[in-house]
Amino acid sequence: MDEFKDAKRAYEATPIPEELGGRVWAGVCQGRANRRRARRRRLLRTVGSLAACFALLMGGLNLFPGFASAAADIPVLGGFFQVLTVRDYDATQGQINYHVSVPEIQTGSDDALAEKVNAEIQERVDAHLEETRQLWEEYREAYLATGGTQEEWDQRQMDVIVDYEIKSQTDTTVSFVVNLFQGSFNAYNKLYFYNLDLANDRDITLEDLLGEDWVAICNAAIQKQIDASVDEQGFTYFFPPDKGGFTTVDEDTDFYISQDGAPVVVFPQYEIAAGAAGAVEFPIGR
Amino acid sequence: MSRIHEEQLTSFFVENQARFYRLAYSYLKNREEALDAVQTAVCRALEKQDSLLEPDALRAWFYRILINVCTDTLRRQKRVTLLPPEELDEGSYEDPLPADELLQRRVEELPLALQTVIKLRFYEELSLREISEATGWNLNTVKTRLYTALKKLRVSLEGEELYG
Repeated sequence: MDEFKDAKRAYEATPIPEELGGRVWAGVCQGRANRRRARRRRLLRTVGSLAACFALLMGGLNLFPGFASAAADIPVLGGFFQVLTVRDYDATQGQINYHVSVPEIQTGSDDALAEKVNAEIQERVDAHLEETRQLWEEYREAYLATGGTQEEWDQRQMDVIVDYEIKSQTDTTVSFVVNLFQGSFNAYNKLYFYNLDLANDRDITLEDLLGEDWVAICNAAIQKQIDASVDEQGFTYFFPPDKGGFTTVDEDTDFYISQDGAPVVVFPQYEIAAGAAGAVEFPIGR
Repeated sequence: MSRIHEEQLTSFFVENQARFYRLAYSYLKNREEALDAVQTAVCRALEKQDSLLEPDALRAWFYRILINVCTDTLRRQKRVTLLPPEELDEGSYEDPLPADELLQRRVEELPLALQTVIKLRFYEELSLREISEATGWNLNTVKTRLYTALKKLRVSLEGEELYG
């Protein structure tokens, strides 16, 4: 093997470009979004043709439980929220490429409510998109101010991907996450969690789910899971508390509601653990 | 059957990204193209994650995707002609390359199939079985190509070193 030692060393000395991390993330986000879309389309086609057959008899998809679970990835809301549809679009504005999937609720009877929820989602997505446009503008100014030419700038492109995932739903609540990805010079990936109580028109809080001791309950459950993550060699992805690791949850801590109704607390990538761990999730038993 | 979780797949990409870039760069010799290749391969892997049936085969499975993306790029640019193995001229396989150049350089001058087997075995340290999975060639073909490549490089290794 000695023969190859130098060759291997030379091979491993290949300089790694700074953008690599961003490009890998761009690949991950695109791949995820494409896969979800492909599945959704496939299922929608099936659902569409079958639903046409059954529509008269069944009066809608949700009365057919086998269907709803088989189509787990298609967000189908039970109860008075009939179906969640998707608005998919790809667009290019200047140097920014958008790939956007936004959820949209349809209700059988209460159109006003659907409109309100959809407006809420749209407003938040628009705010995300506006943020990326501003970021792009700031990049441009910084780029030109630091000696980049307009011509070089014009070669630059940015990908903006918005995708979402429904975590759970009941007759009156929906929990979903919107994933916003923006990639150009550096990549930036952010998850936005929405836990909506549609009947009462408010956000669901951890306190609603866990009671007034919610901070203590969450902290104990999270600490237990962090402790359990240490392997035989004493290694864990989590940072120690004095080095930016986990200390406590608060009102701004992200979470979603799982299928069984229990909250799952989420920390963004890098926040309390090494980047390789990605965003970390802690189910909180009730 | 234990399916690999999307998060595991993602951290595998993040942790090993430098390796993927180096391999792509070794084929394409161009920074932008190598970055594109890694991004495309990662995207394709996420799309096709259901085709990965054995979590243990993850490494070989992803190398296969990455190598395909790189060879597609080369083919599109007509920088390489990919002949089916049986049409490869025996002579070109047998003629040793001049020995005075650095070994790394000589590896780069091998026919693509032989380059691949050398890079995967000695740079990426894949087992012969993994190389077989990563290339889609059967195990005997992998062995034959490895010997041919070594002969051409004028490198002789003991059996143990070969199988690692």
